[in-house]
Order: sequence, then structure tokens, then C-alpha cells
Amino acid sequence: MVTAKKLEPGGKSDLHTDHQILNMGPSHPATHGTVKIVLEIDGEQIVDMEVMVGYLHRGFEKECESGTWYQAIPYTDRLNYNSAILANLSFCMAVEKLLEIELPHRCLWVRTLAGELSRMGDHLTRLGAACLELGAMTPFLYGIEARELVWDLQEMLCGARVTANYIRIGGLQRQVPEGFEDRMAQSLMRIEQLLVDFDKLVTANRIFVDRFRRTGMIPAQRLIEYGVTGPLLRAAGIPLDLRKAEPYLVYDQLDFDVPVGTIGDNYDRFLVCQEELAQSIRIIRQCLPVLRKTRGEPVDVDDPKIRWPAKDRVFGRMEELIQQFKGVTEGVKVPAGEAYSAIESANGELGFYIVSDGTGKPYKVRCRAPSFMNVAPLREMMLGGMLADIVPTFDMINMIGGECDR
Amino acid sequence: MAVELLERVGELLGDAVIDSHARLGDATVLVDAGRIQEVLGALRDSDLRFNVLMDLTAVDYLGRNPRFEVVYHLASVDTEPHGTDPARLPHRLRVKAGVLEDPCEIGSATSLYVSADWMEREVWDLYGIVFKGHPDLKRILLYEQFEGHPLRKDYPKERRQPLIGPLN
Amino acid sequence: MPGKVVRVRRRERLGWAERLYLPMIFVGLGVTARVFFRNLWGYIIGKKKTFVVQYPEERLDYADAFRGHPVLVALEDGKPKCVACGLCEFACPTDCITIIPGETHDPIERIPEVFDIDMSRCMFCGLCEEACPEEAIVMSRDVELATYERGPMLFHMKDLLRDEDTLGRRIGFIRQDYDR
Repeated sequence: MVTAKKLEPGGKSDLHTDHQILNMGPSHPATHGTVKIVLEIDGEQIVDMEVMVGYLHRGFEKECESGTWYQAIPYTDRLNYNSAILANLSFCMAVEKLLEIELPHRCLWVRTLAGELSRMGDHLTRLGAACLELGAMTPFLYGIEARELVWDLQEMLCGARVTANYIRIGGLQRQVPEGFEDRMAQSLMRIEQLLVDFDKLVTANRIFVDRFRRTGMIPAQRLIEYGVTGPLLRAAGIPLDLRKAEPYLVYDQLDFDVPVGTIGDNYDRFLVCQEELAQSIRIIRQCLPVLRKTRGEPVDVDDPKIRWPAKDRVFGRMEELIQQFKGVTEGVKVPAGEAYSAIESANGELGFYIVSDGTGKPYKVRCRAPSFMNVAPLREMMLGGMLADIVPTFDMINMIGGECDR
Repeated sequence: MAVELLERVGELLGDAVIDSHARLGDATVLVDAGRIQEVLGALRDSDLRFNVLMDLTAVDYLGRNPRFEVVYHLASVDTEPHGTDPARLPHRLRVKAGVLEDPCEIGSATSLYVSADWMEREVWDLYGIVFKGHPDLKRILLYEQFEGHPLRKDYPKERRQPLIGPLN
Repeated sequence: MPGKVVRVRRRERLGWAERLYLPMIFVGLGVTARVFFRNLWGYIIGKKKTFVVQYPEERLDYADAFRGHPVLVALEDGKPKCVACGLCEFACPTDCITIIPGETHDPIERIPEVFDIDMSRCMFCGLCEEACPEEAIVMSRDVELATYERGPMLFHMKDLLRDEDTLGRRIGFIRQDYDR
């Protein structure tokens, strides 16, 4: 790959103008996750680069094939550690599509709320980490404080801050705890204040703007060809949002906007994510009254073949005890067939293609990971750019190793 | 909607379509693997405009002939602006093509969709299906010294690789 | 409900104050100074306003739903409530539970002779607790498991048994959901 520049006769022969090979990663503070970027640089300009992923490959798809459908749900948590609930949701929706079941009304609303909460956590991490990696520690702490509030709510909802394991096939892990709505409303107010502070610290700061503006640009048409979705595509001006294009859950009953950028540089990406945070807050505010109103309604389908029966029946009655034993040991019997179901995750289209052979175990689970698709155009974004532009571009792509490498 | 789409796809592709169904609302066609590039090209350039290759994967049906099935998920994203309306995603299509165990190869879609590049490398890596015409078909998720293709059904989950060494 | 597309507002040209850089530094300093004095005031009057917690001296109370590592519920005589049915073993995605059942003098009850959980593989997902038909395995509130070796990560039955009273909060919480 190294090609030395021919020196012209009579030129300044003492100038060393070889291209240099630089390894960035696999363990580099700015590549949160492990990814290796091999760069060929001319001074500080990028001549060529290769992105090498796969350092975090854990065999997610193989592992899913060896357990029951239920046992795959905790593994989906580990795909994108910033928005575990969204991955849970996508997987369970794919299985439910094969099962062809109707979910209770309340379940849909709680899922929507939990998903948006998860999306907020992801965007806050992305924005905060972007600032941190440009050397701005303070805005990071504001972003992370907001994320902590989001994660506290997530902990209240499902018992874990990161690996939620919240969505179940045909329902939810448990009911929403008492007092969740009030705590949520309080936290949202505090998060909004923090976002205002965050905005004051960052968006008008010249160093920040200079490093984000007009870097990592790529035409929208190329992004389409690369199969990129999510905030990256929206920043380039194409308002594709699966929540609008193919409304799932209750998104067709919610009022929210789709933010788009103009030219698709890192600055647009940053602003789009910021605006999406505001939209998520707006969606959650619309979910809260419904949650209050429907308190006490069931969140699970009433079918012991799909969702394990409630415990008081298991303890007290023989039939349900047998159903519990069958449900755990054999798993959900998903009808033979194939299904693809996609949702709009924080990084783009997160889809699951599942194949069932009619037994309790998945025959094939394929995760269409947005991070994997979004990293592919990094080379094209960076060619001709400066070395220092990799960091903001990589941050805005928000590649999550667990999801990219599965 | 999926049924209408399948009719249009059937007209467009003619005898390249072996089988089709629209179960669960997912329009699916099984096509002749030898003509996969022609099929994908026709789908991309026709007025159906399948401009995004969303997903590319394979399934190993061990014991069936053909053993593998390469699965393409195409989507048609409306990139024209519609005032203040969000972009639409009018239709999706699943294209499947059977691949024999030997020769385990199929034409590459990289000349049609850039996104196929990494995904074909992944399928080669995990299933060992060769994509003819791929510019740089090498492992992507695993390392070069890895033996075998782990998502094949005859690859045992507990198998230890030579570089990992035996259990201590 | 049809939503609309909003275009985010780019600062294509920065204002003079922003171009000068220093004025915006002071705006930023204003934000941080406000937080600093608020925290300082909280310190003076003795009401903590900082968000940061000085772990491990200071600890936050986890939510009721919090999932720590799984433990076994002990009866009053110190024997496990578990009847060694093996459902948690089946439900566990990582196969970290090992149960060897044994007979008791009571002709109908069984009891686990060996009940091991390999905590280095456990991922605290809580499926064992959901599967258990006896309320015998529940998630505790302990998470601090770090060791220097792998050996102590294998928890045997004596490490796992807890009195029912110490697990009261968790058991009370999961009982709320029994009639879902």
C-alpha cells in the first residue's frame, strides 16, 4: 500500500514525503468499541484507509440457534449496549410476526415509551462522547448526567441499567412499577434543563463548530447505495424514518416530527441527534397520560403457550404448573416459516430475519445491524480529509462494537 | 399489497422466478441462482426502484438440496422530497436463491449495490459461500486463521480453534 | 398522525461574538460557574446538590426492580426452598446453573444436593427467577463479585442460601406481579 512519492530532480530532496501507514485501534480511546483503522496518510491528509471490524465478534447468531426463543432475548441486550430495549423490541416483534398475535393495548404504549427512553440514552451517549473525544470534558458530563437519569428510569422499569431484558415474546417482563410516571415527568424536566446547558456549552463554540462543520461529508445518494439508515441518512436530507414510513406499535397515533439536515456533514448529524432527543421527549410526554389511564390493564397476551403463565396461577394450579414446565423446557413453539421485521433504532433500521422450523428453538436468527452498515462508508467519508476528522466522524456514525460485530 | 407487488415482480422477472409467496405480508421470491445478478439489476433499474439492499444473509438448510439459501432483503426508499412529508418506503421484497453445497458459489451483487460488499464478505466468513466477482472476498468478522465457517449447521458450537488452544 | 419534516438550523455563519471565540467561552463558563456555585451552596448548607456519588463510601439505593446475582431462598431450618426441579437450569441462557437432585426422608420432596451457579458466566438476566415455580431462586441486590481468580466465582449452595427476611424486598416486589 505504501507508495513513495517520486522526488523531482532538483527538488528539495531532504524533505521526507513518504506516505505513512498508521494503525488506529483496535484499542483506541476514540473508537469506543474495538475497531481497527489502517490509514495511509500523507502528512495529515488521508490517502487511503481500511476499516477492520470484527474484534468483538461473539457469535450472537450461532448462540441464538442453540437455545430457545426466550433465551435469545438477553443476548439481544448485548448488541447495542446503549439501547438494549430497542434490540429486545425488534427481536420480539419479529417472533410475534411469525406467531401472528395481537398484543394488548397497554403493552404497545409501554413498549413505545421504553423504546424512546432507550433511544434517548443512545443519543445522549453519542452527543456526550463526541464532545469528550474532541477534548471537551464538561459537556460530556452534562450529557452523561442526563443519561444517568434515563438509565435510572430504565432501572426502575426493568431492573437493570444497561442490559434491560425487558421485552418478552407476547408481552413485557413485568408491569410498570408504581410512581414511575411521576418520576419520569420529573426526570424529563431535569433532562430538558441539562440539554439547554449542553447546547449552550457546545453548539456555539467555535472550536466545536469548526471541527464538525463540513467534515465527513458524503452525498445522500451514496448513503442510499451503502444501505445507511437512521440519523446519518436524515442528516443528509432524506427524511426516512421507519416510525413514519412503516408505523409500528403506536407511532401512527403520536405526534412527532422528523428532523433532517441539509448537507450531511457531522454538524448536521449532531444537530439532528439533538433534535431527535427533543422529539423523543415529546413522544414520551404523549405516552405518559395513556400509561396513567390504562394502569391495571394487562401487558401480556393471555396465552400460556406464548407467555409463561402468571405466578399465582403456577403456584396454585396444576394445569398452569404443567404449562410453566412445558413453556420453559420446550420454549415457545413458533410456527415454521420466515419473517423479517425492522424498527427504527437509534442508529437506523434494526431488523431481525428469523427462520423457524416449528420447534422451540430458532433455526436462524439474523440481525441486520445498523452499525455494521453505517461503518462501511467511513472510508469514503474520510478520503481526502484530515486525520483529525476521523474522530468526530466516527463519533457521529456511533458505531457500537457489539452490534456491528455481533 | 404484497400480492400486487409479487405480480409486478413476476411480470418483470419472467421465468427467473421459481417460486413466490406473500406470507405474513413479506413478499418473497425464490429465483434462479445462476441469474441472480440479472434479477437484482432488473429490480433495481425497473420502475419498482429497489434502490437499497437492506440485508443480505444466508440460511443453511442442512440435508436439503440445495443446501444453502442466500437471502436478499431489498427496499425501495423514496428519495424524492415531498414538501414536509417524511420519506416513504413503498415496498420491500425478499429475494432468495438456492446455493448448492458444491460448487458453493453465487454471483456477487457488489456491482449493483455497494452495501453488498461487506455483507457478502460476512456471508463468506460465516457460511463459506463464494461470491463470484466480489473484488476483495476475505473474512470480515473472524480472523484469517479461523478454520471452518461457524454458522454452518455442521459446525459444532463447542469446537475449539487451533489458535485458541485446548481447554485448560 | 402525519408528522412533518423539520430542517435543523445550521449556523452556517457564526456571529461576531462566536467568531471571536472568547465571548462564547464566557457563556460556557457562566453555565459551569452557575452549577459550581449551586453545588458549593449545597455543600455549605449541608444539603447535597452534586449529582456525583462518592462510591463506595456513599451508595445509592437501587430501584425495587433491581436485579443483582441470583440467590437461593432458605427456609427457617436453613434448608433450601428449592425442590431441584431444574427449571432454572433449563431457562438459563448461559448454562451457568448446575443442579444435582437428592432424596429427602419426606417421600414427596426432593432437595438439591448440589446447586452451583458459575457467576463468571451468569448475566443477571433474571430468567431463572421468572421460571422458578417455587419462588426458590430470586435475584438479590448484590453485584460486587470481583475476585482475582476464577475459582471463587463458582458459587456453591452454601454461598447462595439467604434467609427469606433478607430477601424480603425482592420477594415483595416480584409478588406484586404475580397476578399480572
